Amino acid sequence: MSKFKKDGKKDIPGVNTSALPDIIFMLLFFFMVATTMKEVEMQVDITKPVADQALPIENKDMVDFIYIGFPIDNDAGTQPRIQLDDRLANSYLDVSSWKRMKEREGLTAFDIVTSLKVDKGVGMRIVSDVKEQLRDIDALKINYSANQTE
Amino acid sequence: MARREVGEINAGSMADIAFLLLIFFLVTTTMEVDAGIARQLPIKLDNPPEQDIEINMRNVLEIMANSNDELLVENDFIEIDDLQEIVMDFYTVNIDQKDSDISMPNYVTINESICQEQITFFTEKSQEEPDNKLYESELNKWKTKLELCQALPTKSYKEINKQAVIQLKNQSGTSYGLYIEIHNIIQRVVNQLRVAKCEEMGWGNYFELKPEINEEDAIIMDRLKILVPERIIESKIQN
Repeated sequence: MSKFKKDGKKDIPGVNTSALPDIIFMLLFFFMVATTMKEVEMQVDITKPVADQALPIENKDMVDFIYIGFPIDNDAGTQPRIQLDDRLANSYLDVSSWKRMKEREGLTAFDIVTSLKVDKGVGMRIVSDVKEQLRDIDALKINYSANQTE
Repeated sequence: MARREVGEINAGSMADIAFLLLIFFLVTTTMEVDAGIARQLPIKLDNPPEQDIEINMRNVLEIMANSNDELLVENDFIEIDDLQEIVMDFYTVNIDQKDSDISMPNYVTINESICQEQITFFTEKSQEEPDNKLYESELNKWKTKLELCQALPTKSYKEINKQAVIQLKNQSGTSYGLYIEIHNIIQRVVNQLRVAKCEEMGWGNYFELKPEINEEDAIIMDRLKILVPERIIESKIQN
């Protein structure tokens, strides 16, 4: 009866990994489609308010972002601060000159929407100061950033 | 000589390359979608017109949020859940009645001859002072209103009193979260009314209008903004 005889040591076959690249590529494409590039390195902590009537911003090239929140770095104090691009602004008075600097070919401050990304715990004083700065240079189109759902 | 066999390409490192790309995308991107409530700030006038017109208080809905995040509407404390109904009343309660006693804005009927009159008036004004942005924007508004009248089968439409505004008052300690919540509620009411108007007029689905891309949609949007205006003014912050 040699039919079921084990012929000594048998090698366990290796796991076939030839489909692994395909799986990884699939994941890669999913992330490429479902995500967007980060604009800046955040210096302030922002929990956006919720607003179910918020509409997605269509044309991101036509938008400047102003971030207002509590600084992540403890050295920067505990009061809400304004972040313009990658840096914390010293005061709200920097906003208008920054917005002027962001004007690009054929587009004035008036054409470019300013999106305010503000933490929901921040008081209205600083937000109002920033809006007043924007009014001074006729940058009237603004967008209050909010999450559509909880 | 025998043909040499082409060796297979080793695809073992393909997975590593794909991993590398995957990790790169995971690190540099975010999932969140940028969404928000769009608003237009009021124009800063060099010499603001003097307040000589008496404003009827029934035309102003005063919403005040204080530093403790409490809400006062027309000097009464209310809960945030009741605000939507009040804003809805502000827009609709007097729409079908004349000289009602309910202290909310009245409606007036606008027809072609009124539009013509106003256009002539503001054309003259803006010729006198070509730099005054206020006259220019008023003139454009009345031109749109005239076109709207002409487009409607009734040749006229009902417009909320031109002084009707929602006035937001904040204090410096009012949280931004509450402020957005108020804006969201106003926006929700305005959207509901515009959706209804859009359907009534046979202009299609309000949320599918693409005014930035499509010129026809832009015209419809301008007309909806006249039929259901969102007039929000914000007072200077108190303390």
